[in-house]
Amino acid sequence: MQTYAVLGSGVTSHLDLVVGGLPLRLCSEDSELLSAATRRYDGFNATERTPFSIQVDRYHSPQGCGNEFLCEFEGARVAADASSAHFSGVQHEYALDSLLRMLLSWALLPDVGFLLHAATVLRNGKAYVFFGRSGAGKSTVATLSPLGSVLTDEISLLKRIDGQWHAFGTPFWGEFRAAGTNRSTPVAGMYRLSQSPDDRIEPLRPAELLKALLPCVLFFSARTADHERLLEILTLASREVAGYILQFRKAQTFWEVISS
Amino acid sequence: MMVAANGIWQKNPALAWREIENETVIISPAESVMHELNDTGSLLWRSIDGRRSAEDLAALLAEQYEVSARVALADTLELLDELSRRRLLITIESAPVEDAA
Repeated sequence: MQTYAVLGSGVTSHLDLVVGGLPLRLCSEDSELLSAATRRYDGFNATERTPFSIQVDRYHSPQGCGNEFLCEFEGARVAADASSAHFSGVQHEYALDSLLRMLLSWALLPDVGFLLHAATVLRNGKAYVFFGRSGAGKSTVATLSPLGSVLTDEISLLKRIDGQWHAFGTPFWGEFRAAGTNRSTPVAGMYRLSQSPDDRIEPLRPAELLKALLPCVLFFSARTADHERLLEILTLASREVAGYILQFRKAQTFWEVISS
Repeated sequence: MMVAANGIWQKNPALAWREIENETVIISPAESVMHELNDTGSLLWRSIDGRRSAEDLAALLAEQYEVSARVALADTLELLDELSRRRLLITIESAPVEDAA
């Protein structure tokens, strides 16, 4: 971990992270913000060669840091190119967190990866990805799963490595209020959550899985080429990963229908 | 608006789309909206190339699905009208909808 957060104004320090195998370096003169980021992203620290460099500023300033990806969130702004980004107007750690999600959703495209509103639970060495919009039951699934088996309860990162899909933990919190785990595991299946009085499971065809995934994918680019790439990646995932609808009641018994 | 049988259409270049299992998923990045086409819609979508008229497209539909030319043309015009109203298609004489980027 490379963190030098207790420094005076005008001194740039940095925090090195790895999320989904993507090395990131947050650089800022704002020691308060970096300290908050250090706490928030604890467990995702790692130093890799040639990290993606992100300059983080509390105020807006003219910076020549690319315009391949541009996005705004409540007054904060991200501008990025293939190797670096500039976050400006970052008044607090929550804005930093939002911009980081936005950037990752775009920066993962070359690595055949994407972010998904999903809880991921590890079982017998495989990752079970439970996806759905807010209120679908992601946190319920996480709560009902054994301690230590939850990779993330809110935002999963899926990436194709050597022809196999892996789920990664992310530092983005849900109702669990605990950061995900920074590890990856091969994906066993993707399960569209639907709460029901009974536990039932129904397979999804690749086309059905693609259409179920799309509303749950985090993506913020407005460029057509980026959306084409995302569709290509999601189509690949839909063809290569088993997809299901999981009708479940709020009990651990849902594992029984998955196992069967 | 009702489209003309001799009209020429092309896909809006601002869209991203993908065909999977004879269905087509179309994304409109500017609006973050997803559209879906079934197998007949996908056949027409795939065949819209800026050269074929509605009549040409209807002939393809009639050949593939063994329906009468009259029914195929009516179905084709209805779909073209719907796609046009959703700004997924443009006539080749019209200016393309600008990419939001």
